[in-house]
Amino acid sequence: MRALLRAEMLKLIKQSKTYYALAAILVIELLIFITAYYQGTTILDLLLDNLKQSFYFEGTLLNGNLIMYIVLNSLWFNVPLILMIVTSGLVTDEYKDGTLQTVMLQAVKKWKFILAKYIMAVLFTVTVIALMMLTTFILAYSIFGKGDLVVYINTLNFFKSADAFRRICWAFASGTVAMVFYSVASITLAILIKDSAKTWIAAALFLIITNLLLKVDLGISALNAYFFPKLIDTWQQLFYFETNWLAIGLNNAVLLLYCLALTVAGTYLFNKKDIG
Amino acid sequence: MLTGNNLSKSYASGKALDDVTIRLVPGQICGLLGRNGAGKSTLFKILCGLIKPDTGEVIINSQRPKPIGGIIERPGLYNYLNAYDNLKIFAGIQGAPADAGSINQILTKVGLPLDRKDPVRNFSLGMKQRLGIAIALLNNPQCLVLDEPFSGLDPIGVTALVNLIVSLAANDHIAILLSSHLMSEISKCCHYLYVIDQGHIVNSGTTNQLISEHIHTFSITANNLQTAKTLQNYEVKHGVNDAKVICHARDIPTLLQSLLNEGIEVTACTPELTLEELIKTTAA
Repeated sequence: MRALLRAEMLKLIKQSKTYYALAAILVIELLIFITAYYQGTTILDLLLDNLKQSFYFEGTLLNGNLIMYIVLNSLWFNVPLILMIVTSGLVTDEYKDGTLQTVMLQAVKKWKFILAKYIMAVLFTVTVIALMMLTTFILAYSIFGKGDLVVYINTLNFFKSADAFRRICWAFASGTVAMVFYSVASITLAILIKDSAKTWIAAALFLIITNLLLKVDLGISALNAYFFPKLIDTWQQLFYFETNWLAIGLNNAVLLLYCLALTVAGTYLFNKKDIG
Repeated sequence: MLTGNNLSKSYASGKALDDVTIRLVPGQICGLLGRNGAGKSTLFKILCGLIKPDTGEVIINSQRPKPIGGIIERPGLYNYLNAYDNLKIFAGIQGAPADAGSINQILTKVGLPLDRKDPVRNFSLGMKQRLGIAIALLNNPQCLVLDEPFSGLDPIGVTALVNLIVSLAANDHIAILLSSHLMSEISKCCHYLYVIDQGHIVNSGTTNQLISEHIHTFSITANNLQTAKTLQNYEVKHGVNDAKVICHARDIPTLLQSLLNEGIEVTACTPELTLEELIKTTAA
């Protein structure tokens, strides 16, 4: 298995599209930074206009913590879409280039090969989110400095600077679980569909439907609590004033179980399927 | 050492293989002839274990970790990697030696240069075929399956690949099954031929046997063939540089002797092996 993972790592490192994906995520970050730098204060003033008539705000609310929170919001659509395109390519490119057939003509077990793909997709996703967090942290703090965080979720929630940073770190960790879920789902879609363009469309559709279902009342409490679209925004719960840490932990655990189930199903299907 | 017994496979579009039996022995080069869509690739994929037959079985008498290697339809390579890295990846994933010495040895064996460090997307088709064979040979398989290995190669590339295939069978005792549309090359390098049509094996035998039994057209090259009296006894189509003589294979020695007696020195006599003839003769 280690040899298969080493091979997957080498392939990922040598492919230019890996760097395009990383560059795309950095571009998103930079755009957020530029917008915040030039228009952030105006937007905040507009949002907090009423409050400012009744309360006195000390320091600047446009700070590194707020920027990190805004970057976190790219976990809704932009980042998972890029991740799904790259990770599904781990499988679809092998079909397209005929290398899957060449691999299967070697002394390699099918289930081990596809399991290595899943593991590599997870490692890649974790690495990307870690890089995203690190670059955001360095840039946001060095450009905008520290400060208290104001977040609007149903109501305005305020967090002290140190508490805000802690919550942002946990949110990145929780968001990573959601991103891993999307990556694992995209590998499974790639196994089923094989063709890269069709898989991208299916992945985008999956992402859109998941985001839509997040807001839909499914009528059954168990579904509303544990159906996977209801779990992908768990990282947002870290910015409620009263944080239910147990629910956050449970949600992430269930999402990881979904990842495991998708991996088992994908491996089984791939193992059963004819190649070519 | 490799046997496919009573193999059948159906797709939604119809039956691709119907009760096909095929055998290969070590050191033997076996040719599989057939039109496009005759079932060659399906048979190859079943023999290599890529797809499962509906009925029948594949038996491989080998204790090696990789009993069979091959290229099916086209060599599947990581085009963004160089030849060395391609071999390193494919060797590594199956636990075959992936050190520089072993990889350079296999590159040399298939006649690829050691100093090419650019991605294989820049390689010619012939070089890609050679790299595909190098990957197929990793982990010392006892059997090699090559689907259309000469496709797209220039004559020099074809000759070089034929030499490589013959040397692998003769020196390493590898059983080789290959398909091609180039009948002349197949007849030159194969010991045994199978003819497949519409999913059935319609003809089989040693190459010499099939030529002598089914081939009735021979291309003869010599000076002054137009004036040869001997040829008046045969049905002949004169070409620019040769004459196509229609006769039985058993008549060829007499024909050549008669031409020699006339003072005509034959420089080449080649059987015109055509797929249609091999299929038609059987159907008739």
